[in-house]
Amino acid sequence: MKLSATPGIGWIDLAWAHHGFVDHFAIYASDSPFVQGELVEKTVYTRFRHANLGPRSRTFYYRVVTVDAAGNRSRPSPMLRASSLTSVTVSGQPVAVIGEFDRTSRGLALAPNGYQQYTARFPNGPDYPASDWPYLHPGPADKWAGSKPHSFRFRFTLPVVRDLVLAVWLIDTHATIPGVLSLSCNDTSFAEVPLERGATKGSTVGEGPSLRPSIVEVAVPASALRHGANMITFTKASGSWHAYDAVGVFTPA
Amino acid sequence: MTDLPSRRTFLGLAGVSAATLALGTGAPAHASTPGDVPADPFRLGVASGDPEPDSVVLWTRLAPEPLAADGHGGMPRRPVDVHYEVAEDSQFKRIVRRGHAVASPELAHSVHPEVHGLAPGREYFYRFRAGSSISPFGRTRTAPARHDQAQLSFAVASCQAWYHGHFTAYRHMAAEDIDLVFFVGDYIYEYAINSANLWREGVQLDKVHDAEVRTLEQYRLRYALFKSDPHLQAVHAHAPWVSTWDDHEVQNNYEHVGVTPEDFERRRAVAYRAYYENMPLRRTSLPHGPHMTLYRRVGWGRLANFSVLDTRQYRLPGKSILGARQEKWLHDGLRASSSTWNVLAQQVVMAQIDRDMGPGQTFSNDQWDGFRAERERLLALRTPNLVVLTGDIHRNVAAELKADFNDPESATIGTELVAGSIGSDGDGTRRDNYTDLWLSNPHVKFYDGRRGYVRCTLTPSQLTSEYRVVDYIRRDDRAPVSTAARFVTPAGRPGLEVQ
Repeated sequence: MKLSATPGIGWIDLAWAHHGFVDHFAIYASDSPFVQGELVEKTVYTRFRHANLGPRSRTFYYRVVTVDAAGNRSRPSPMLRASSLTSVTVSGQPVAVIGEFDRTSRGLALAPNGYQQYTARFPNGPDYPASDWPYLHPGPADKWAGSKPHSFRFRFTLPVVRDLVLAVWLIDTHATIPGVLSLSCNDTSFAEVPLERGATKGSTVGEGPSLRPSIVEVAVPASALRHGANMITFTKASGSWHAYDAVGVFTPA
Repeated sequence: MTDLPSRRTFLGLAGVSAATLALGTGAPAHASTPGDVPADPFRLGVASGDPEPDSVVLWTRLAPEPLAADGHGGMPRRPVDVHYEVAEDSQFKRIVRRGHAVASPELAHSVHPEVHGLAPGREYFYRFRAGSSISPFGRTRTAPARHDQAQLSFAVASCQAWYHGHFTAYRHMAAEDIDLVFFVGDYIYEYAINSANLWREGVQLDKVHDAEVRTLEQYRLRYALFKSDPHLQAVHAHAPWVSTWDDHEVQNNYEHVGVTPEDFERRRAVAYRAYYENMPLRRTSLPHGPHMTLYRRVGWGRLANFSVLDTRQYRLPGKSILGARQEKWLHDGLRASSSTWNVLAQQVVMAQIDRDMGPGQTFSNDQWDGFRAERERLLALRTPNLVVLTGDIHRNVAAELKADFNDPESATIGTELVAGSIGSDGDGTRRDNYTDLWLSNPHVKFYDGRRGYVRCTLTPSQLTSEYRVVDYIRRDDRAPVSTAARFVTPAGRPGLEVQ
């Protein structure tokens, strides 16, 4: 059984092909190729996301054991080496940052559960740094925020125009309709990011194991940037809310 | 993208042949390496089911340590012979049948022997032996002869979230004089069990139960946890069961957001396997990968024809709740029936329920309201003495099935009895937030939000249905039972007459 891996920031996706009835696949991960390592998951599916690996690249050696209905265990699959990616928040230099990249919504407006004040406090949407940046970004599926698209504006000054990376860390998203985050810079659209499904807890909980965080890091092309004042607009035109941990623009290493 | 696993690969590549699976049903064979059986292997009880005039299916699953985390109940990974006896008396002095089946680790050491050659319409007792251990005995009965116009008492149960409270309702059901139990879905729930939903007081649970159930070992363990309840075991031992599932035997509403259809089929396959392993089902319901034939007929002489439905497996959202093949089978069976009563044992509410108490109409697409054309085709058959047994909603409801649900004056063409839950939703109250909504539908004649079951008596002239409820289940299992409502449905006059 051959394993394959797709890396991301803070996670590694494993996949394999298998025909036939199984009780489950037992997935082992080790930081050494010489030991089987610890059991990180039992799943009946043929894929697994090894998540919460942190912002710095980490390397693991994976093996999968198949357990059949009688409880018999197969020989381990051939080993696969895979590494997660490093976040620009670690490798790059910050240009402008809102909040702290710390897996909590602390430091953001209305956090951790004051979303019902959103409409009154941000009638025209947030415009940072003239206004605060709220922890929750509603979408058109949210009746409490008027069932309409919502845009957040993030202004920063750039002394020298060059390629940047926008880091958007989320503590959680909606579990079934996380929606799409549309990003534009000075009116030039540069990314449409389908958000990952979360745990639908981040609207009322600011940190902890009930959340399912995700990370979005996308390049902001130099062609969309200007010397001096710049504005990145975050628009949620589909789906429900997402909950921020922090956002920032960085000069990549 | 991998190809959909075929039936053959699901069975073949696991190294388990259909013949091996069939050994548990009593095919003539012996365990190849018989050996010692751990002491006290019958801790999950005994059961019987699907009675016919000359036969029943018996069930047990060997599990000396029912909550062993690997789902194998503390059994060694080898096959074991399980012997059974069927007698006319509970002292087993007049034994009429003996036999054995092979309990294999592939089926979690469950056996499903089908006992034939019994006399119609009579009570029997059965017990098992494995190694030197003898099981507690169970009581069962055969269906009456084909032309016998007998009487029948049965109970209808559903939705047994073990963690929401004690199975007090089963304690009372085990004392009822009933011939049969219909279970209409949600025998287990797949949710993680933790402090947020463990409302059953007086129990401690290992952390292994605090995870959503997805693998075969987890489903096996979940059945073992629920089946460890002594009152559930008592009802299984008290009367034969006719069971069908709803969604939670696999996953809530069969949602598989973020999971490929192929991977969901893997989950369905292990869930179906575990369901079969844990229920008194005949060989015709042996699962084949993600497929299992659960819809079937049970006849009760000339008195009643029961059609047991599966409204989950073949469902196409917005298009079909039964699937074309099951719908044809159902219609053919109803048209051909010469029984006095025609009863559907199924999962979700069939009566139209308008959830908008204002001038508009809002319906649940998860129930028959989401499949109105199919419901109209079924009701258009004008089946004589149609009775629908339902679960799913955790509330006791009695409703009349109308020729036109929007016209209260239209003909009543059937009767729906919705059994409240055994455990799901914990302590209930007679009235709750949904009472007015349900009763605003004029064909809904009764609503009660407490836990309980329906006890029915069928005679050639009438159906009597009694809603048996308990006031609380979280604290302990001591709540008394009471009858919240009693209805009579005369043969030839569908609907509900309050008694």
